Amino acid sequence: MTARVDRIALLAVPGLAYLAVVYALPLLLLLAKSVRTPDGLSLAEYGAFFADDYNMGVLARTLRVAALTTLLALLIAYPTAFAMARARGPWLTVFLVAMVLPMSLGVVVKAFAWSILFRANGFLNTALQGLGIITEPMRMLFTETALVVGAANVFLPFMVLPIYAVVRQMDSRLPEAAASLGASPWFRFFHVTLPLTLPGVVAGSAFTFSMAISMYVIPSLIVGERQQTLSMLIARSFLYLRNEPLGSTISAVLLAIAILVVVSSSVLARRLGARQ
Amino acid sequence: MTDMTPISPADRHYLDVWGVAKSFKGTRVMSGMNFRVDRGELVSLLGPSGCGKTTLLRIIAGLMEADDGSVVLGGRDITRQPAHRRNISVVFQSYALFPHLTVAENVAFGLRARGTAKSATAAPVAEALRLVRMSDFADRPIAALSGGQQQRVAVARALVVGPDLLLLDEPFSALDRKLRETMQVELKSLLRDRGITAIFVTHDQEEAMGVSDRIAVMNAGRIEQFADPSTLYARPASPFVMDFVGLSTRLAARVTARDGDLLSLETALGPVRAPGDLAPGSAALLAVRPELVALGQGENTLSVTLEDVMVLGSKTMLHGRAPEGDRILCELPGIRTGLARGETVSLGWAVADTLVYGVDP
Repeated sequence: MTARVDRIALLAVPGLAYLAVVYALPLLLLLAKSVRTPDGLSLAEYGAFFADDYNMGVLARTLRVAALTTLLALLIAYPTAFAMARARGPWLTVFLVAMVLPMSLGVVVKAFAWSILFRANGFLNTALQGLGIITEPMRMLFTETALVVGAANVFLPFMVLPIYAVVRQMDSRLPEAAASLGASPWFRFFHVTLPLTLPGVVAGSAFTFSMAISMYVIPSLIVGERQQTLSMLIARSFLYLRNEPLGSTISAVLLAIAILVVVSSSVLARRLGARQ
Repeated sequence: MTDMTPISPADRHYLDVWGVAKSFKGTRVMSGMNFRVDRGELVSLLGPSGCGKTTLLRIIAGLMEADDGSVVLGGRDITRQPAHRRNISVVFQSYALFPHLTVAENVAFGLRARGTAKSATAAPVAEALRLVRMSDFADRPIAALSGGQQQRVAVARALVVGPDLLLLDEPFSALDRKLRETMQVELKSLLRDRGITAIFVTHDQEEAMGVSDRIAVMNAGRIEQFADPSTLYARPASPFVMDFVGLSTRLAARVTARDGDLLSLETALGPVRAPGDLAPGSAALLAVRPELVALGQGENTLSVTLEDVMVLGSKTMLHGRAPEGDRILCELPGIRTGLARGETVSLGWAVADTLVYGVDP
């Protein structure tokens, strides 16, 4: 028997070649910088990175912001996905345009729009003061809360669309069957709807989380230099400190987290899928 | 035309659907619907798609709210009760088994939803699976089952909770013909043995006749006739029922004379007599079931040129040449040879077997 190559599989070659040259190769070169020291290969840079309290603080903030962003996006996206799945005709178009249009606007435009909303004499503060809820302008811009709110807005489509895809596929008879078997709305949600839509939740959360840990423009514009995230730290290492080994090391850490999230979520999704 | 059986107010019915109306986006699909079922009865809602049978089923189940009217089950008004409080199980056309649960977990679902402890569900679930002969499949995932097996699980899941009423929405339509007949026999005896009151929704008249004590034939949101299968077949209350249930010879006719209950009618193929009470001169539709027609002279006899002779194995069907819109059928038992297309034969049948319907001019 001669091993035969599936000719359809050959269609993947251009894509793989492109990824190899444009993605894998530069990434490898970058990672190589993180372990190459004048004294040969060493993990000293990693040791130094993890020993630094400031770095650890940035890492913790990055993970916290990413987790909160994912959670907020999920809370908004989950009901939205059901409304979308229920929508018909022009309403569905409205939903899809509302999802996709903001993506084409660009983060920079949005971030400046938020600053008009959040700043001391901005719309929110003026409105709250006008209503007598607060007397002094609240600090909103340059806070972690503003960052989470803004980031959740940017990544929302990536949470909504995977959940929407799963919800739309779900047989609408299943909740009805559960109801006819005596299941209350709560029981139906936790024993039928949620388990069946969990693969979409996992996929959307993995997308959102991995984008949120590596975001750079949004935190730069909303919170600025005072509260760094890993991506900002990387940029600073390369651009200002000219410390390529440090930048490469943080990049590797970030990449490791992203890979961990993507792999574990796909394992989880497959396990959930295997039951169905 | 509605339910032909007169119902006195003193009659107590197990399920009493009264004056139910439903509109979708401003279009009335049902109004003044009355439908009553006795305890332990197996009833079918039979009709073409869009006749309102599924709407009625969903209103009874509580999966859809009626705009008007009431639903009373076992003396309890359930009109405003949500589906999960009605204790009415539904077997769906697609079976709607939970894909993330095993066979046993699917069957246990209704018990768990009612707050039964997991450990206490084992015995009833095992019993229900035994009843539908699926005990060996308890731990299988749903995706590993065939259509017939899925249907059995759906039935076990619906019955294990001890429902007051079982509703089945086209339960056999996804099965192939042979399996369908086996499952019909199985399910019918299962429901009978346990004294379950059940309503089948179907568009298949053979299925309805096979599984039910009574059949409600629905058309355009109304029940045209609600009767046992033999009455429905022998004495269809309207041309719609006559056409929907079984095959018939049908001929356009005009009443020429009336003598008491006996009408004389003129058709394109000759004179015919039939029992009825139409005024002379009025237009009518004549019908006879094909197996009641025989070769040779009868009380009514027409001379017919054969258009087609179909040998179907257990029977032979003769198609006669008829004017546009009319149809002449004669069913003979067994295989009949020696009859050929183009031949002219006499077809005869009894006056009493002739059905007559008035036709609005």
